[in-house]
Amino acid sequence: MARQPTPAATDPAWAAFEAEALPHVDRLFRLAMWFERDRSEAEDLVQETMVQALQSFHRFQPGTNCRAWLTRILQNVRSNRRRAKGRSPLVDDPEDRIGLATPFVPPVAQELTDEDVLGALTRIPAQFQEVVVLCDVEELTYKEIADALAIPLGTVMSRLHRGRALLRAQIGASIAPAGRRQSRT
Amino acid sequence: MECRDVREMADSFLGDELLTETNHEILRHLESCPVCRADLASRRELREGVRRAFQRAPDLSPSPEFVARLRSTLQSHVHQTPARRSLRSWGWWALAASVLLAAGLGVAYRGRDWIAATGAVARAAVGDHKNCALQFRLAEKPISLEDAAERYGAVYRVLQQLPPDDVATTAGPAHVLERHACVYAGRRFAHIVFEYRGQRVSLLVTDVTARGPLALPGQAVPSVTSAERIDDVPVASFRTSRQIVFVAGDIAQPDLVTLADAVAAPLSRALAGV
Repeated sequence: MARQPTPAATDPAWAAFEAEALPHVDRLFRLAMWFERDRSEAEDLVQETMVQALQSFHRFQPGTNCRAWLTRILQNVRSNRRRAKGRSPLVDDPEDRIGLATPFVPPVAQELTDEDVLGALTRIPAQFQEVVVLCDVEELTYKEIADALAIPLGTVMSRLHRGRALLRAQIGASIAPAGRRQSRT
Repeated sequence: MECRDVREMADSFLGDELLTETNHEILRHLESCPVCRADLASRRELREGVRRAFQRAPDLSPSPEFVARLRSTLQSHVHQTPARRSLRSWGWWALAASVLLAAGLGVAYRGRDWIAATGAVARAAVGDHKNCALQFRLAEKPISLEDAAERYGAVYRVLQQLPPDDVATTAGPAHVLERHACVYAGRRFAHIVFEYRGQRVSLLVTDVTARGPLALPGQAVPSVTSAERIDDVPVASFRTSRQIVFVAGDIAQPDLVTLADAVAAPLSRALAGV
């Protein structure tokens, strides 16, 4: 049986949402997929995020960063889900456990493959991954990251500083053995 | 400023998160320090490497089935959403309504839809004017109209020449400062920035044929319409056969309409031919 055409296509609220928010689904999904590491979980997370965004779209301020707004909703949904599942909250701060004495290894970016970079990113603690991804990939400002993660601005800055140092160290560590292998051949 | 200070602030510098004065101090240091220049270049490479890798990773992308399913789910939620709107939104409703009236499209069913869609586009145009012409803080770097013509079609080529660099109006001359293509709120605009009446005024052209509700017959003679303000910026607008054109800037509304009137007819004729 043929489906009735949805009335949403003629709804003004949908037209505005479609123009502002839907273009960000691809990037939002990549973010969810990175955090969840599970396609089904990521799909649930993005769907709930977008439904909530649609329902509160009247609160979105035109001219502000819609992707940052959607990211904040996604992080809220994610925190609520983790809490409901009894997992540790996302605001757990591991900074005391991370030493500052990270050796500086200058990265040689032109020699890096995408796998090298993403592999190194997965090896740093999740809290540091979050801020690095939100800043470097999603291009959110420090303030937008602080709002999205519900953490102080100073914590964003210190996590970024340490996260990037850890990332450079991981990349240096992954390149060094390859360099040695090359030099033997 | 010492090397140690520069390293400490390097990532904030790259993220444009520092005060202008601090940026200048870092730039002064970099002029005479090749080691810090190399460090900064390496940090920039790493940031770009992370972004590139993330955006290219095939296993992170959504499946087309999921995107279709999500769209359908969202559409089914539309009528459950509250229809609350802030007072600020009346500005773009007013523009959209006036454009609708000028186009002589009194069909209530399609008209309602078109108003909403035009309103979103109008807000995007004003956002582009504010963030590109006035503050230079777009997420995506603008490209030349020549590049845009190669990638997105001949409309952008027409706009390399039209409106001309100097437009005479009864309110005074308008001189083109800049022409490029840029993206704001997910919508691509050809963006021409004028110096007019002592202010920067944007002429923004965007394609409306790709969106169903806006794909309505164009007018033989473009009629300029205006709203009081959209997000605090005076705006005038006219339709061509396949585009909608906005003129936005912080000048008196009649002067804005005068400029729009001066460019509307030749622009509309030229764009109809591509």
